[in-house]
Amino acid sequence: MAEASKVIKITLQSKNLQCKNLHDYLKTLPTEILDRLYNHPTTCLAVYRELPEIAQHYVIRILFVEQPVPQAVVASWVSQAYSKEHNEVAQVLSSLRVWQEAAIPGGLPGWIMNSAFKRNMKIALLGGGKPWSMSSQLETDSKPRDIPYLDSYAMERWECVLHYMVGSQQQEGISADAVRILLHAGLMKRDEDDGSPVITREGFQFLLLDTPSQVWYFILQYLDTVESRGLDLVDCLTFLFQLSFSTMGKDYSTEGMSDGLLVFLQHLREFGLVYQRKRKAGRFYPTRLALNIASGQSRSQLDMNREGYIVVETNYRVYAYTDSNLQVALLGLFCELMYRFPNLAVGILTRDSVRQALKSGITAEQIVGFLRLHAHHRMVAVGPPVLPPTVVDQIKLWENERNRFTFSEGILYSQFLSQADFEVLRDHAQDLGVLTWQNPQRRTMVVTRSGHEEVKRFWKRYSKGAG
Amino acid sequence: MVNVMKGILIECDQAMKQFLLHLDETVALGRKFIIQDLDERHLFISADILETLQARVDDLMDQISFPLADRGL
Amino acid sequence: MNEEVEASLLVIVLDTNPGQRLVRERTHILTQCLESVIAFANSHLMLKSTNKLAVLACHTRSTEFLFPPPSACGTQVAMLRQQDGQYELFTHVEKTIRQNLQQLVIRDARSGPIGSVCESLLAGALAMALCYIHRLEQELSAGRKMNSRILVVTGSADSASQYMSYMNVFFTAQKQNVTLDVCSLDRDMGLLQQGCDITGGLYLRIPQLQGLLQYLLWVFLPEPTIRKQLVLPPPVKVDYRAACFCHRELIDIGYVCSVCLSIFCKFSPICTTCHTVFKTPGPLPTKSKKKKIKLS
Repeated sequence: MAEASKVIKITLQSKNLQCKNLHDYLKTLPTEILDRLYNHPTTCLAVYRELPEIAQHYVIRILFVEQPVPQAVVASWVSQAYSKEHNEVAQVLSSLRVWQEAAIPGGLPGWIMNSAFKRNMKIALLGGGKPWSMSSQLETDSKPRDIPYLDSYAMERWECVLHYMVGSQQQEGISADAVRILLHAGLMKRDEDDGSPVITREGFQFLLLDTPSQVWYFILQYLDTVESRGLDLVDCLTFLFQLSFSTMGKDYSTEGMSDGLLVFLQHLREFGLVYQRKRKAGRFYPTRLALNIASGQSRSQLDMNREGYIVVETNYRVYAYTDSNLQVALLGLFCELMYRFPNLAVGILTRDSVRQALKSGITAEQIVGFLRLHAHHRMVAVGPPVLPPTVVDQIKLWENERNRFTFSEGILYSQFLSQADFEVLRDHAQDLGVLTWQNPQRRTMVVTRSGHEEVKRFWKRYSKGAG
Repeated sequence: MVNVMKGILIECDQAMKQFLLHLDETVALGRKFIIQDLDERHLFISADILETLQARVDDLMDQISFPLADRGL
Repeated sequence: MNEEVEASLLVIVLDTNPGQRLVRERTHILTQCLESVIAFANSHLMLKSTNKLAVLACHTRSTEFLFPPPSACGTQVAMLRQQDGQYELFTHVEKTIRQNLQQLVIRDARSGPIGSVCESLLAGALAMALCYIHRLEQELSAGRKMNSRILVVTGSADSASQYMSYMNVFFTAQKQNVTLDVCSLDRDMGLLQQGCDITGGLYLRIPQLQGLLQYLLWVFLPEPTIRKQLVLPPPVKVDYRAACFCHRELIDIGYVCSVCLSIFCKFSPICTTCHTVFKTPGPLPTKSKKKKIKLS
């Protein structure tokens, strides 16, 4: 019995790596921090960009209105058929504290925009206020770095982290700090035998994400630990957003940055989000990894002009035009590799190889997503669909095959003496939310294990009262 | 009175249910394990058989699948 | 896993013709319009990081790109340092537009005065905008999509003399899936209204010039895809009169060449477009080959 319940716990737990978007993250922050964040134009811009489209227009429309706007008026901006969307959007804006409820003289409920948010949105859009902290005047860099250089630098740094995770040979170049973040994020864990970090189930899923999502996930985890390092969360976030709205190939000054931020900058430098020639150079270049960081997945392909390298054929063969050990290793997670040439690796998707991946916690969706994301441009040109539908379907079928039945522990109640007894108990279980199955004709019902005690007590009380 | 029994509720498609019934009838797992046949898509089984059962279903799946791709080795 | 993110391109055609009635009466109107248009353009860029922008100035003699600047001249973003809290991309947009417009006006003033009444070359500017859109769409890599639209901000009246060019532009835009929006500052413009109707865009003649920015933000900022969710000004009845090919005048009833469909307000024995020879009209006009048409 104990054995069985352990199995169930493992299988029933959620297996997916949850990657929060910017809004979900901000909602977890205490309100005072949120209010402090809105004191800077960049945060307002970042939040605004991620709002649902209708919300963006609401904000623009009341940006120049100084008094509260009646809720009925705002609701009338959207046509009747979309009132559901309106309610969702109003909810989003409230939960992010972009606007608050306010009474209008006359007693109507209204919305008023957060004054700090409004002020700083206007500054971002129209000008005014103080320049952002990193834009002090700089002399022209004697050795300016161009965009291709920064791109390759950023990818090299980032792949260093990934390499470390898959345990490829190149293990130098990653600091103890980064390892700590990986451990904190649950992407790696200490091996029980020798204490060296090994990749976890979540780590595998992380590897299959696209780079921007990886960076964002990683940064979120980093931010969790920021305060324990004695850095100010608001300062770090503000700086991060400033970076995300900076220009590629332009140098920025470190002048006037606090010691805490300089430390933060060094961390970002390690992961390739910024480039600095020397620690004390006084200037830095943001890289593509840092740009629009908060957009997470939605920016994925657009900003990254990386070449796709994977060709998938309808005969389940996978050709990867790459010489990177990392990329081949990633492919090896769910492919059976057959040949390896200097610039080409050939593998085959088999039931066994995919099942192996599924067992290690990767979902079919993630495999397909990975293949699609890195599809060779020839495949993209032929598509859509980019991948052969048969292969995509088969991978999903292989996953479904593992879920031919779902099971849950429960308690079976049967052989009720009267229909009335059955109905009373059933309704009670239903109210408690513990009923999983019932059949009135056969007077049989199943409740969850956790609900059993409660239902049993109720039944005793009830049968005593009746008898 | 009411009869109360602990176990595991299984939800599956009809074909899978028939397979489970078959396993039960032929005592393929060494003993009977189905406590009650609830309806077309639900079964109530004893909890301690689950692991054996899963392994058995995996075996079945292996048997009925055939290599899709020509490895060309 | 990741839903398709679409880029959205907005091409603004700003009428800078000094001959416009509004500008002739009060010159600072142009500055005010420019301010509003720049703020509007930046709002568009603010919506999404993938949004793109182009601004064209439509003048009496030429049409020129104010933004993005022609590659050789113009300031680079990298050279700009922030003066205030404005997002540096927006500062760049604003500076570039102002600078290029200034150069355009100075150049125009140097090249000597022109006749007092001079119409803006709106049709030409629209064609240029379409070419630009077409080029960007060609440059898109595979698997990407881009929604494009054109917004015309003008204070001049449309003239039937550009009728043919207008129609060509409208139908090209329709074919290319480009929405045409028109914001008229001064008079009603029948022809451009037709263009909006054909391409599914919005036409608005603003009642008050002071509120230009608000009108732009309310009506023209939402992209065509989400316009159906918002309550926007209802479409007005469109005047679908055509201009005749002989005098460029708008007519309700006219003669149409049976071969090439050219429209004439008076009967002529030879079609001026395709040189078809018609029979002289008989005593009964209804029996003759020429045909009366009615365009409502």
